[in-house]
Amino acid sequence: MMEKLNIQNIGLTVGILVILVGLWGLLTQKNLIKIVIGFALFDTGTHILMVSIGYIKYRTAPILDEAVDIRNAAKLVVDPIPQALVLTAIVIGLGITALMLSYVLKMYQNKKSLEINNYKDLKW
Amino acid sequence: MVGPIYIIAISLGTAFSLGFFKKANRNISFGLMFFAMAFVTFISGQWLYAFLSHQQETIQIFTAGFKPPFSISLQMGFHEAVFLTMINVLGLLSAIYLFDHLKEKGANMMMVFMLLFMGLNVVVMTRDIFNLFVFLEISSITLVGLIILEKKQDAISSGFKYLIASGIISQILLIGIIAAYYYGGSLFINDMVDSNLLFVKGGSVAVFLILIAVVLELKPFPANGWALDVYQSATPGIGAIVSGAVATTSLFILYKLLPIGGDAWLLPIGITGVISFLGSNFLGINQKNANRILGYSSIGQVGLLMIIMSLSKDLGDKFEFVFFSILISHYLAKAGLFWISGIINKDEIGQWNIIKNKPGLIVLTGVFMLTLLGLPPFPSFYGKWELIMNLAHSGNFTWIAIILLGSFFEAIYLLRWFGKTLMNNENSEELIVKFHKIFPAVISSFLILMFSFLTARWSGLMSVKYFIPFAIALLLFALDFLPVFIKNIMAIATVSWYSYVLIYQTYIPENDILRIIFGFIFLIGAILLLFPGFTFKGKRRGFYPLVILMFSGLAGLIEARTTFQFFFAWEMMTLASYLLIIRGKNAKKTSFSYILFSMAGAFMMFIGFGLAYFETGSISLNALADVLIYANWVYILVAVGFLVKIASLGVHIWLPDSYTEADDDVTPMISSILVKSGVFGLIILMLSMSLKNAASSNIPYILGWIGALSALIGNMLAIYQEDVKKLVAYSSIGIMGYILFGLSMMSHLGWLTAISYSIVHFLYKALLFLAVAGIIYRTKTRNIYEMGGLIKRMPLSFISVLIGIITLAGMPPLVGFAGKWMFYNAVILKGWYFQGAIVFFSGIVAFLYCFKLIHNIFLGPIKDNHRKLKETSVWWLIPQFVLIIGIMIISVYPKIILEPIGLYLSMYFPGEGLVWAGTTASTSLGYWDATQIMMVFAGMFGVIFIILFLMSRKVQVVEQFNIVFQAERPERPETTHYAHNMYAPYNKALGFLAAPFITNSWEFIYESFHAIGDQIRKFYTGNGQTYALHIVMYVVAFYLFINGGF
Repeated sequence: MMEKLNIQNIGLTVGILVILVGLWGLLTQKNLIKIVIGFALFDTGTHILMVSIGYIKYRTAPILDEAVDIRNAAKLVVDPIPQALVLTAIVIGLGITALMLSYVLKMYQNKKSLEINNYKDLKW
Repeated sequence: MVGPIYIIAISLGTAFSLGFFKKANRNISFGLMFFAMAFVTFISGQWLYAFLSHQQETIQIFTAGFKPPFSISLQMGFHEAVFLTMINVLGLLSAIYLFDHLKEKGANMMMVFMLLFMGLNVVVMTRDIFNLFVFLEISSITLVGLIILEKKQDAISSGFKYLIASGIISQILLIGIIAAYYYGGSLFINDMVDSNLLFVKGGSVAVFLILIAVVLELKPFPANGWALDVYQSATPGIGAIVSGAVATTSLFILYKLLPIGGDAWLLPIGITGVISFLGSNFLGINQKNANRILGYSSIGQVGLLMIIMSLSKDLGDKFEFVFFSILISHYLAKAGLFWISGIINKDEIGQWNIIKNKPGLIVLTGVFMLTLLGLPPFPSFYGKWELIMNLAHSGNFTWIAIILLGSFFEAIYLLRWFGKTLMNNENSEELIVKFHKIFPAVISSFLILMFSFLTARWSGLMSVKYFIPFAIALLLFALDFLPVFIKNIMAIATVSWYSYVLIYQTYIPENDILRIIFGFIFLIGAILLLFPGFTFKGKRRGFYPLVILMFSGLAGLIEARTTFQFFFAWEMMTLASYLLIIRGKNAKKTSFSYILFSMAGAFMMFIGFGLAYFETGSISLNALADVLIYANWVYILVAVGFLVKIASLGVHIWLPDSYTEADDDVTPMISSILVKSGVFGLIILMLSMSLKNAASSNIPYILGWIGALSALIGNMLAIYQEDVKKLVAYSSIGIMGYILFGLSMMSHLGWLTAISYSIVHFLYKALLFLAVAGIIYRTKTRNIYEMGGLIKRMPLSFISVLIGIITLAGMPPLVGFAGKWMFYNAVILKGWYFQGAIVFFSGIVAFLYCFKLIHNIFLGPIKDNHRKLKETSVWWLIPQFVLIIGIMIISVYPKIILEPIGLYLSMYFPGEGLVWAGTTASTSLGYWDATQIMMVFAGMFGVIFIILFLMSRKVQVVEQFNIVFQAERPERPETTHYAHNMYAPYNKALGFLAAPFITNSWEFIYESFHAIGDQIRKFYTGNGQTYALHIVMYVVAFYLFINGGF
């Protein structure tokens, strides 16, 4: 039991839980701001997930010292890109969230309503 | 060459530097942006050129000096170059189109605009999946940023829906990417493909998440409400970008990532494509909003391309040809339509008739829509042909049926829309067309034409001579500013030259009787029927190119030696005739049913040809004779296409109105010439499939019944018509029934009757329609009861109609009787007594309407307003009298046509037929001498004429108003006339036969389609959250499907 309770599995579980909470919010909340928050949670959950599984088992950090032989370094180290790219993902998530909020703002300015059910003029 | 990395460098550099120009003149910033985009387009175009012109190798660019997976690598290969060029050209054209919008919003918006296209470029080139994700996100963020160009509330809320949906999709992709790295150890796409992720534990989930996200990016039906709303509400310039650039890029992503899933994923992708293709096109039928229709069509198209992608193995080395010809034609056409939609700026397609007075816009719209429909000569036609034929070759008939069904749905709404743009427009609202808005559409149509030529050459199916008609049509189109008179001369000269080359130089030396006869009908007939064109005033814009296309399509039919050439000519002729009919003032609705029936028939024919190809492996027309196993299927499928054209019972409902509402000089063309294409097709089909091939012997029997019933019903319906053109039109159904019946007897005499009757029908039907049209030209009415007593005003027309009906009714001494005589011989020899009796009876029915024609138009008292009428124009009369001379010659010497046809037929039916002795023809049942009959008749006629002439001196002429109405004046005097509702008693007795139950049942089918579609589309609730739920449900359903949960 305790072996399973490592940092990776905790991260994984938390990540998935946050994703589900976010998705639930996205699909059930009627308030536009809450929907955006749902999305942001979904996003964060994904980031946690990325951090917790974005490596390869039995490999080491990409630091070239005596632990890592330079000749077959490529086979021994974990590519740092996925970890670093979580940052990129966060930035992108931020961008999308910001854009969503600005859209909400525009929608509110036009119709004075934050209820998603009031924005169904286009359909079928 | 400039390296592809500069695409990113230049775009990014310019985008950042635009920031410095915020305060400066916006023209300068626009110029800067445009210049940078032009340079980027140049880079991609230059690579494309390199790949096309010489053996340029695919290159990899490693950034940061490391090899992947430790760095991001870009790839530039042939496919990348094609897609990049497409995207960048569209970007350039969109920039021109959106000039107003971009300038108004300033440098910031231009920055966003540039970054969108840079994002799409990188997405295409990159080989690193995370990099792909990043730039995909950049593209969606910039795209949503551009949606704000439209300030309307709808656009903003749809942008929000788009954000939610694409947010969910990108999260799915992100999770998939990280899972793929976890299980596969690399983000380099080539490594991912090599590592067979599917077979690694857990890897299949990663593959699933990545590919489902890519599929969702393609906006599959039904999880695509968010995209449709954007198509509908964003400014059409954005619609063009979404459909042309974004969807194209998404397709490329699928193409690039599909190998990760391997073969196991091909079928699911194909099925997704099918659902999208059928679903979107089916729901498109119900739409009225122009941009939304384009959205549906766009999604349907992506579905088709997904199908093609999933069938890449079956298509073999034709895959690239099929994929790119369909993709590029749709990309150009769809963007063009969005741009036009922006110019018109009307939501409802019903309001598109505002372009009625803008011929340029109509032509552009037509070009784009017909390209979408895959009609010749547009590039998608060749793509569709190769697609269907190669699928047929590997026996994939389910796919073929699906593809053609979806295409048919698409045809329904696009053609209805096209019809609406040509509707009469009472609204005098003036449409302002700005140069920079129309310019991209014009370029796009030029590119389509260029690409048509290239695909035709690339396909290897077409020799250069097939382009001659198009070249002439284009030339005539360019000379459209000339007056009708000159253009008519040019058209006549062209057709004359064509018939000289074809008939005199080719078929007469080859002694190919069948082709001489039909060449004669199609081309010499065309020359005659072009004469009335001289009576038209003004310019008659667009008429002559279409006429040339129609007649060269007909000529193409007789020239065709392969099923491809035949189908090409068939579609070209159908298309041109549709466009000719639709020019009639009230012909919008009827031309719609004409083209729908024709297209359905053509698709059946297409499947038939495919089936033949499947069995024989050859596209030669002669190879139809070698079809054995599927002979019945091929026979029926191909025959249906021809039966539609000759308007056999059941598929006849398009004919009466189309003939009636077409322009008065077009009606004779289609009624006497165009229908013969169906007869010619049937002859070709029967020659190879019934005669040389014993496998399908039952079908002629069925065709015989169809022919007999068509004859009966066509004639029955004709007698009740009050509209004189409609009357003659219905009689066409009847006569075509005779010809079909004659052919299906499969005997020498039956065929002799049918083929000679084709000539005769051409002569008298053209004569009748010309005469009638000439009369309408003067009287300005088509109602037969509003005519009468015209014999003195229009004696020459009277002679024409008289000769016409005598021939039609098959009375001696004219050649119609020859037809009847042979016909009865054939029926008796064949032993088809019952059917023969029906045909005989319908011949009697024909007397009734023949009498109506001559009596109601020419005899009786003249109407008040017709007292000063003159004989019709000489241009109507010249062809009539040429036709009369033709009828008289073959009436006196029927041998000149019957003997060569008989000789020709004895190759196929030896030992039967007419035996000639001098001018006497005999069969085993009796003999007949036309020359003798004619002399006897002339003698009797002369005697009676003299007697009557002598008697006429004693006659007291009763003037018209020498009648007393007993002080009562009827409300509408003409209704009291005998000619009004002439055959009402017959209608009472036999009217049930004429009940429009066939028309009603077709309408019921059409209505049901609408009703079903109307219910289905309700699930697009308009709520962004519901759309998000659709996406989640789609993912779950897809997962269950993949893993066998269903």
